[in-house]
Amino acid sequence: MTKSSDTQKPTGWSRRRVLKTAASGLALAAASSFPMPAIAQGKKLTYWGGLIFSDDANKLLTDTINAWGAANGVATEVVMINQNETTQKVSAAVSSNTMPDALDMGLGLARLLARQSQFSDVGDLYKKIGDAQGGWFSGPDTATDLTADGGIARVGIPFGVNGNLLLRRKDLLEPAGFTEAPKTWDELVTQAEAINKAPVSGLGLALSNVGDANLQVAVLQSFGGRIADDAGKKVTIDSPETRLWLTWLKNAWDKGLFSPGNTTWDGAGDNQAYLSGQAGFIANTGSVGIAARKDDPELFEASAFSPLPGGPKGIISPIDVQVRAITKASPVQDEAKALLEHLSSPEYMNAYFNVAIYGPVLANQEKLQAFDGTNTILVGLLGLAKNGTAPAYPDVNNAAFADLGSNFLIPKLAQRVVVDGWDFDKAIAEAQTQGQAIYDKY
Amino acid sequence: MTIATQNSAPRRRFGGGFKLKLFAYALVAPVVLLILGLVAYPFLFAIWVSFTDMVIGSTGNFIGFKNFEYLAGTATFWAAIRNTITIVLVSDVLKLLIGLGLALLVHQNLPGRGIFRSFLMLPWAMPAFVAFLTWRVLYQPIGGGINLILNQTGLYAGTVDWLGTRNTAMASVIIASVWRGFPFWFISILAALQSVPKELYEAAIVDGANTWQRFWNVTIPSILPVIIVTTLLSSIWTANGFEHVWLLTAGGPSDATMVFPVLAFFGMQTQRIGEAAAVSVYMLPVLAILVIFATSLMMRREE
Repeated sequence: MTKSSDTQKPTGWSRRRVLKTAASGLALAAASSFPMPAIAQGKKLTYWGGLIFSDDANKLLTDTINAWGAANGVATEVVMINQNETTQKVSAAVSSNTMPDALDMGLGLARLLARQSQFSDVGDLYKKIGDAQGGWFSGPDTATDLTADGGIARVGIPFGVNGNLLLRRKDLLEPAGFTEAPKTWDELVTQAEAINKAPVSGLGLALSNVGDANLQVAVLQSFGGRIADDAGKKVTIDSPETRLWLTWLKNAWDKGLFSPGNTTWDGAGDNQAYLSGQAGFIANTGSVGIAARKDDPELFEASAFSPLPGGPKGIISPIDVQVRAITKASPVQDEAKALLEHLSSPEYMNAYFNVAIYGPVLANQEKLQAFDGTNTILVGLLGLAKNGTAPAYPDVNNAAFADLGSNFLIPKLAQRVVVDGWDFDKAIAEAQTQGQAIYDKY
Repeated sequence: MTIATQNSAPRRRFGGGFKLKLFAYALVAPVVLLILGLVAYPFLFAIWVSFTDMVIGSTGNFIGFKNFEYLAGTATFWAAIRNTITIVLVSDVLKLLIGLGLALLVHQNLPGRGIFRSFLMLPWAMPAFVAFLTWRVLYQPIGGGINLILNQTGLYAGTVDWLGTRNTAMASVIIASVWRGFPFWFISILAALQSVPKELYEAAIVDGANTWQRFWNVTIPSILPVIIVTTLLSSIWTANGFEHVWLLTAGGPSDATMVFPVLAFFGMQTQRIGEAAAVSVYMLPVLAILVIFATSLMMRREE
């Protein structure tokens, strides 16, 4: 009968067994959430690449990193991230300690994360690459020097310059007597007026709550306006120069030169307007040119690229620099540096420039086949790399300036005038107050 | 015998009732943990963050009500309050009228009403992303469907920038929002209409009530609880809605259609997470009252 007690032992799910299993499951789940030692995971390098308009460029980056990993015994994982979502993804990754080993990003985000000590010092690699390839262009060199921010001077290796070029319909402008690109914003209005006939609008410039509309900051600055004083503390939007810029803008608006819908465009608004033949001029990084070359060669042939026009204070054509950085917490620092060096090689960069929309950052890159003059977009970007102005110039490129841009304060000032019909004084007073409130936070 | 002895032996110090309770708690514990982890923690964390100067990459410092004060000092914030209230109120009224009207129509014994009923649910079934991008195309000033219709029918020869001018932007957003949202009202009210006892109508007819009197004194009181709950749920969803404004106007032109969720998203873009959280927290009291009210009404109906 003793045996009978065993036979009576319940074989199904008893309460005790349920609890025991649940407890074991919880313990297992808790244990698995602890990070394993790096050695146990092997050498694995995760890279977040910024997804750009060119599929060929995205594929080239992914294939190159994977091929480099295979050749060097490093398991690689390349995750391509839409550049519009980099901030959100990185934000979540920082909070959850799941940053990749290396990533590429715009200078603004790099600067912000550098302040939080998220990146490793790559000063030695920066110098090595510069020395090997004729030195860095002064624009990217100055822009990526973060010494003034009080941290590490070099947290990223620049790999491309971008910014706005003026794209124009020469097939419409030349018959109207304009064979040269407009040199000033006033000339731009004159030329735009000459071809402003439905369905073509002269000016396909965004005035909405979108990054493209921040072009108006550069226009304002070229008219002599400033966002803040030289200390980068006191907002100086309320100035005669701002009124001068608004006069130019209102004049063009009242002539009906801007594309309809431009006050609510998203980031692709100007692209679509130009590609659909509805805009005579747009300011664009070159993505429209690439799209036109691929999908509408006729339009591409009918287009020309030139630097942004200037105002009474000259041309303000800010560059943005894309950089590659290594996260401080990465366990594969040496491998990541080797990868970044590999990605700066002339062979790779020549292939990349041919399919991407970036200008060069190193002096020797000017001699690459990509910049031999046959590709008009790259010629424009080369000019931007050599002659573009530093980000925010003549203002101080600090966090407050970036915050003001992210709040689209200057496009909103323009909207107050052209959409809401506010007079200059009222609109400027609001922008001045809002701007100072932003600057006071820093 | 051995078995009997073993089974009857007191092996626990606690009574059966306690054991049962413990077991019940153990069973619900995983769900409670999930709710705490996935709902309560993010909720409370967002409230905490709104009182800090957190930016990406930093844990932030407690700064009291500074984020709230800063927001309250901006014109866009007040525009967001006005616009959110406008969109919620006007959308609810229009959805009610359309939903009620169509429900009353489909409730009749019409031929092919099954197909008609399914057809009316299409806007609700369509992904919001697709629906609002389609509306955006319709609203395009050049080549947009609405302007084409106006031009080709000779009703208007010019070009209307539906989303780009202050006079028409809000109305355009509301129309698209109502189009997508009315099927929920329609189906809720139709279900309520079908549950109204026929005896009530028969009694009303016997009492000499005409069609309007039957509608006003029988139909409306019978479906009123459903209308209230639908109104509350719809108000919460509309106030929290992001895609209808973001995809159509991104809050513009100027701040003509700026609403709280879009304002919070802009806060995220400036990388100042504390401020973005404060925008959401500003909405919390009103939404909490609506949620509590809706939940209690629904529970009362279930009882």
